[in-house]
Amino acid sequence: MKRIAIALTVNGKAVEVVAEPREHLADLLRGTLMLTGTHIGCEHGVCGACTVEIDGVPQRSCIVHAGSCDGASVRTIEGFADDAVVAALRESFSREHALQCGYCTPGMLVVARDIVLRLPDADEARVREELAGNLCRCTGYRGIVRAVLGVLADRRAGSSRAEPR
Amino acid sequence: MTDASKGLGVGASLRRKEDARFLAGQGRYVGDIVRPGLLEVAFLRSPVAHARLAGVTKPPGSESSVFTIEDLPEVRTIRANSALPGFRVSEQPVLARGKVRHVGEAIAACVAASRAAAEDLAAACGLDYEALPAIADMTTAHLPGAPLLHEDWPVNAFLEIRRTDDVSGLDAIAAAKVTRTLRTARQCMAPLEGRGVLAEWDPRLEQLIVTTSTQMPHVIRSGLADCLGLDEGQVRIVSPDVGGGFGYKGILLPEEIVCAALAMRLGRPVRWLEDRFEQLSASANCREHHYVITAWADRAGKLLGVACEAIVDAGAYSSYPFGACLEAAQVGSILPGPYVLPLLSCHTVAACTSKPPILPYRGVARTGVCYAMETTLDALARKLGITAQAIRLANLVPPQAMPYRNLVGKVFDSGDYPEALRRAVAAIDVDRIRARQAAGEAVGFGLATFCEQGAHGTSVYHAWGIPFVPGFEQAHVRLSPDGVLEVRVGVHSHGQGMETSLAQVAHQILGIHPDKVRVVLGDTALTPYSTGTWGSRAAVMAGGAVAEACRQLADRIAVIGAALLQVSRADVTVEEGRVRRRGAEGSVGIADVARTWYRAPQNLPPGVDRGGLEITAGYRPDPDTGTHSYACHAVVARVDLETGAVVLEDYVVVEDGGTLINPLIVDGQVLGGLAQGIGTALYEEMPYDGDGQPLAATLADYLLPGTTEVPDVRLEHMATPSPWTSFGQKGIGESGAIGPPAAIVNAINDALAGLGAEVTDLPASPSRVLAAIEAARRRRP
Repeated sequence: MKRIAIALTVNGKAVEVVAEPREHLADLLRGTLMLTGTHIGCEHGVCGACTVEIDGVPQRSCIVHAGSCDGASVRTIEGFADDAVVAALRESFSREHALQCGYCTPGMLVVARDIVLRLPDADEARVREELAGNLCRCTGYRGIVRAVLGVLADRRAGSSRAEPR
Repeated sequence: MTDASKGLGVGASLRRKEDARFLAGQGRYVGDIVRPGLLEVAFLRSPVAHARLAGVTKPPGSESSVFTIEDLPEVRTIRANSALPGFRVSEQPVLARGKVRHVGEAIAACVAASRAAAEDLAAACGLDYEALPAIADMTTAHLPGAPLLHEDWPVNAFLEIRRTDDVSGLDAIAAAKVTRTLRTARQCMAPLEGRGVLAEWDPRLEQLIVTTSTQMPHVIRSGLADCLGLDEGQVRIVSPDVGGGFGYKGILLPEEIVCAALAMRLGRPVRWLEDRFEQLSASANCREHHYVITAWADRAGKLLGVACEAIVDAGAYSSYPFGACLEAAQVGSILPGPYVLPLLSCHTVAACTSKPPILPYRGVARTGVCYAMETTLDALARKLGITAQAIRLANLVPPQAMPYRNLVGKVFDSGDYPEALRRAVAAIDVDRIRARQAAGEAVGFGLATFCEQGAHGTSVYHAWGIPFVPGFEQAHVRLSPDGVLEVRVGVHSHGQGMETSLAQVAHQILGIHPDKVRVVLGDTALTPYSTGTWGSRAAVMAGGAVAEACRQLADRIAVIGAALLQVSRADVTVEEGRVRRRGAEGSVGIADVARTWYRAPQNLPPGVDRGGLEITAGYRPDPDTGTHSYACHAVVARVDLETGAVVLEDYVVVEDGGTLINPLIVDGQVLGGLAQGIGTALYEEMPYDGDGQPLAATLADYLLPGTTEVPDVRLEHMATPSPWTSFGQKGIGESGAIGPPAAIVNAINDALAGLGAEVTDLPASPSRVLAAIEAARRRRP
């Protein structure tokens, strides 16, 4: 089987790997790089569980070929430890019971962070529209939507409630 | 108990202990676990619904990496029997033998170093078969002359079950009679994490260790040992974090058995991870019912009787452990719902078809039965010219009748069913809906009232004679030398937050801070036997067992604590994590008691219980016929008459789950179930064509509700304790998934009432709504 060499940045660290041409980024992250926080839900780009940040933009890693990521900068859920927005989202997700089995949660957090930063004035309808590409089978979404709205409101108010405890 | 400690115990909306690891992406699911030398499995699966299997041609050189049933002669078939009279048990081979009986049935296991390479192997296999007619329609499957799926059976039916009250006189006395033909769709439960199995043989322990995404590790252990001819001591089942269950993972899988057999054969760890295409094409396995239902009522809407012909599509095999008839056998017993029903005649067939074997999905038969009963009630109300609330209030079991035994022998423990209805209706401005209707808007109001039997035990299940009957639920509690409490239970958690709820229960009894309570689940080597998490039983059964074990442990703690305080046992109590003197100063911490037992035993009193600070206790409610939570769902739906699209404008749930151990978690269970029920009502359907081919292959075809489909539900609780459980808690985990199809379709039909149109089949997709409108137009041009 042909293999291709890929050099990319993952969670701020330069890595050089080889992958089969058919390997998708989610498998590369979970397998070779042992970053299992990125979850695989459908492998056809619908459920959003595998969402990671590629060059600053949330994307579904199951429909991105690993080989196309040469030179890219990828950030997975493991790469947000020092991120203040994700810290606030983690706090609000727990407060609002926005997770149950935890399987969709990493993808939800990556997308939620993007919403918070890109759409500071988003209302509930807009937040729901923006989250529509991420499926959760457990929560019924109310907690997730409220968690994102809570962080948006806190940031608008400049409140200290968004800070992690 | 002081107010401060109540803030962490039963009734507290404590944030979940398990959240931190999931939020960090550190949950550990089967697919996250690797082993040196791991082999991955891809299954060659049947492309057709029904065929005689002539053989598999293995790719050259792959003879030792492709396995058919002929290569696994040591493995027994899966056999899930039932004691129900007339039940026909199927023999389910773990890989197809001689025949295939549904699309997706596993035929061969292909093993390689990677899943991709294993799939290449499967694709290179040749399959020789002679296609046979599919049995794809449950309404004709069991009729004489249909081709037989199991050729030694007389008909394609696992079971027929009858209850025959005489309803022949009702036509003469009823003010109204309606008959409806209704259908629910076949669904895929679709937890976000698929199934997954990692099997390995430990030569030192001479033990098979199977890490599998299951809701019932102990039951899987029994079934697996049986199929492999091992004693149960040679099998350990580990269920790590499970990415959603809902019933989909309450089964002994053929794939579990095959992976285990291969791990033993090959001496290497073997893993199979179900992908979404496999799940949709091979395991759409729930919910498909057909009803012809007739109901009679008097002028006030009081029910005189119900007659029902029901068919449940049970698929090709009887799955272990619940069997093929958990749904069919319950249709008749659930039909009375929360109502006083004087007469019931019900005939149900569990049809055997060339589809995946039925599994009980959250709500089990109730979702379909509630749909049938509640839509029929609304049809009766329309005919009588009374409101949906009036017909329900005329029939709901009144609170003063509790506990109430209904005509099929179900016993409702407690509650005020009419009050739930009144609160739900009061939460919605019905007059405004009527005004909008009068102005020509296609908007409607729909109700569903129902109850959910949960945590029913020995007395109920022994009559079924399924491979296991739940008995006393056990919990093991153990103080560690530093005073941390370990709680071990055999139920499992797949999103329900048991690590938190059970810590709250322990805190309620002992006062140990929940952060210092460690709940251990999901491993047969570490936990006492349990039938697992299903049937809305964990909060009642495991909650009760943990409470009982902690009470017994408290007594032992008190004896040692009293000695340390130099007073008698009768002069101390255990509270807030300490042993305190009654009515006097002086206390000693539970951690000090633990330290004394383990590390300073010279200070123990004479005659101390030698069992130490660990206890296994058993619990079963008495009676154990189950708790009944109940709810009223009230919906406002708007229908687009041009497109058939339905928008849920408002959704109110009034729910009574008795005492809530953790209201935050209970809300999550209700809301999550509700989203699944909305999927059942409006979106989710696995269509099969006449050849038995499933037609939805991706999540773009099989529609799961997302953030834009599920409204911001208004949820209100009543809290009538069950008189039979440790804290008054009731099973409530499935409730949310039961009511939505009934309430939503009732709202749609209310919106369409002016047109004389009624939706009868689920899901109420745009095409079905338009078809109902068109049919009404044809009837009255």
